Amino acid sequence: MNALVLEQVTLRISDSALFAPLNLRVEPGAVTSVVGPSGSGKSSLLKFLCGILPPDIDAAGKVRMGEEDLSALPPQSRRLGLLFQDPLLFPHLDVAGNVLFGMRAGGARRERQQRAADALTSVGLEGLGRRDPATLSGGQQARVALLRVLLAEPRALLLDEPFRSLDDDNRERVRELVFAQARRRGLPTLLVTHDQSDVDAAGGPVVELQASA
Amino acid sequence: MHRSLLTRPTVSLLLGVSIVPTTAGLIAALWFGLDAGALARVIATPGIGLSIGSSLWTGCIATAVALLLAHLAVGLAASGNWRRRLNSLVLPLLAMPHLAIGIGLALVLAPSGVLLRLLSPWATGFELPPDWLIVNDTGGISLIAGLVLKETCFLVIALAAALAQVPAEKLQAQSATLGYGPLKGWLAAIAPALQQQIRLPLAAVLVFGITNVEMAIPLGPGLPPTFSVLLWRWFTDPDPAIHAQAYAGTLVLLVFSVAAIAVAGGLGRLGRKCLIASAQSGQRRAAETAVRRAFGGFLIVGWALGALSIIAIGLRAIAGPWRFPTLLPTSRSFTTLQDIASLTAGVGATTLALAGATALVGIALVLPAAEHCRQSVTARRQVGAWLFLPLLVPQMTFLFGVQVLLVRLDIDGTFVAVLWSHLIFALPYLWGILAPARAAIDPRYEQVAATLGVTRSVTWLTVTAPLLARSMLLALALAFSVSVALYLPTLFAGAGRVATAATEAAAAAGSGNLRLAAAHAILLAVIPLAAFAAAFTGGAALFRQRRGVPR
Repeated sequence: MNALVLEQVTLRISDSALFAPLNLRVEPGAVTSVVGPSGSGKSSLLKFLCGILPPDIDAAGKVRMGEEDLSALPPQSRRLGLLFQDPLLFPHLDVAGNVLFGMRAGGARRERQQRAADALTSVGLEGLGRRDPATLSGGQQARVALLRVLLAEPRALLLDEPFRSLDDDNRERVRELVFAQARRRGLPTLLVTHDQSDVDAAGGPVVELQASA
Repeated sequence: MHRSLLTRPTVSLLLGVSIVPTTAGLIAALWFGLDAGALARVIATPGIGLSIGSSLWTGCIATAVALLLAHLAVGLAASGNWRRRLNSLVLPLLAMPHLAIGIGLALVLAPSGVLLRLLSPWATGFELPPDWLIVNDTGGISLIAGLVLKETCFLVIALAAALAQVPAEKLQAQSATLGYGPLKGWLAAIAPALQQQIRLPLAAVLVFGITNVEMAIPLGPGLPPTFSVLLWRWFTDPDPAIHAQAYAGTLVLLVFSVAAIAVAGGLGRLGRKCLIASAQSGQRRAAETAVRRAFGGFLIVGWALGALSIIAIGLRAIAGPWRFPTLLPTSRSFTTLQDIASLTAGVGATTLALAGATALVGIALVLPAAEHCRQSVTARRQVGAWLFLPLLVPQMTFLFGVQVLLVRLDIDGTFVAVLWSHLIFALPYLWGILAPARAAIDPRYEQVAATLGVTRSVTWLTVTAPLLARSMLLALALAFSVSVALYLPTLFAGAGRVATAATEAAAAAGSGNLRLAAAHAILLAVIPLAAFAAAFTGGAALFRQRRGVPR
């Protein structure tokens, strides 16, 4: 696995920079936390990395995956997995359908379905494949969203406060699950949060976004 | 809760205005149209099978193509951050009546039309118009093209409205980070979620496609014509013996429309299944550039054709004799503006009066009902669906029933009768704009006013109405352009005695006089455009210094 490297990244809204130029190397299997007050551009930073920044924000700087420059690639070719604040499960697909949407192509239909069912079992959602995602609890939805991202075989994992809307109990369990998966797959992981317990649990380097002078 | 809302006087008045005449018209149509002898004569008409076939073929193909194009346009626009621009591209064509686009397109595509003039003689070598059957072709291709042009615009707006209910941008961002290009992301992740919401507008497009005369008269096949044009000829035939045949024919039209809706519903479920299956296959196509370019090009060509038809109307109306390969008519032969004005002044006044009355009465009916439904999404949806129902019935079928009733009541051919018929078609759109806009106003503004001791009616005038002003302007313009475009309602409720730009243009186009048709089509094109332009400039000027006022 390669490291995710940010070089001199800046974001500007109507000519005022959100934070000082950012240089960062996210190592495989390590969870790097990005903290900062709201409005400091944490979520926008992740969107920039994915190439889905809204047009009113100007960005500069380089994003690399190992030696490969991602900056010029369209979002769908970057293969960075992003977990949003909300699980954003597709409402017209069932739970397994959402997982299958993420899963890379290949294999017969039956085989793919079996893999989706196994994946659901591995995160404690055995037999829930045919359920309407809207009927799942917040913690269950978060786990489905995680599977959807992981089965797309991303090269790095970006977490945009994905534990925020969960209650304390679920929060800890989902967080452990996400971090464990990231480590096991050796994914460079960037976590955006403003919750200290997330940072402590991540246990990796911490970057604080500071307003540029 | 919402059940009681529907029985509120304001809401039931609104619904009654739309549903009572429609239902009565349908019942009357069944009563007078169910005549075995007349039905037998309809079926025995030579070429009837071809007529019905070409109605169904053109309507269904045009609807399918328009749906596909609308999805692609909105899907690509959403990913390219130009959704707002798409709306402003689509609105002028949407505001244009079918009749005007139909006449304009006939002027562009005909062998002596603007398109070949653009290419002749330098590219084609033609010194004389070729002997081609492009417009009014038996395959109905030009009719399909015209319908696709208009209905794509309509469905784009319907999709854009439905999008408000779905967190589309986030879902699309999510599918992009999962490795899906914008096109597949849209079709697999968002389109299925929207389908449920646009099924009423889609059914209306389908029924209109199958049963319209506005585009089929100038563009549709000639021998035999589409079934609806055949019925229209029977209705306008001076021989009353033929009329019974037309009555019975409208029921045949009704049967085919209902059947088409049912089949389309089945196909829709099938399509949804396919999309969902494709969403679960995991197939990604990162490079969609070629596909995007191709469709982008297609959409641009379509839009250019629409713009060209509007220009062609203007040219044809002012041109006198216009020798073939010359692109612009020579100035000597110009019809003076005075000629056109004197030709269309009376008609224009009636058209404007009807449009203005439709817009004002319509808004007066819709606003109080919207007031009552502001807190209930369910009630708003139900009212919207009820108001939409008349658009799902072939116009001819219930309108002929309405006409029979109006004759019995001895009020056929009056302004009020025509106005009422126009209201039926304007109300669903007025509701579609004003009800959500009213509901979107934060109720706390009024609560603040109430705690300050202001009465409810004063609050409405000083707080609610100004916040609604922009939507009201848009609603006015929309009702205006709906009314201007209505042909069959004016013809039937007006008993042929109320002449508007639409009736004159259709009659001229029906008799093959495209020059006269163009002169009236100018009115058809200019009035809605002017109304929308006024609404937009007015809306922009209002509260220019207030960013918080809803747009």
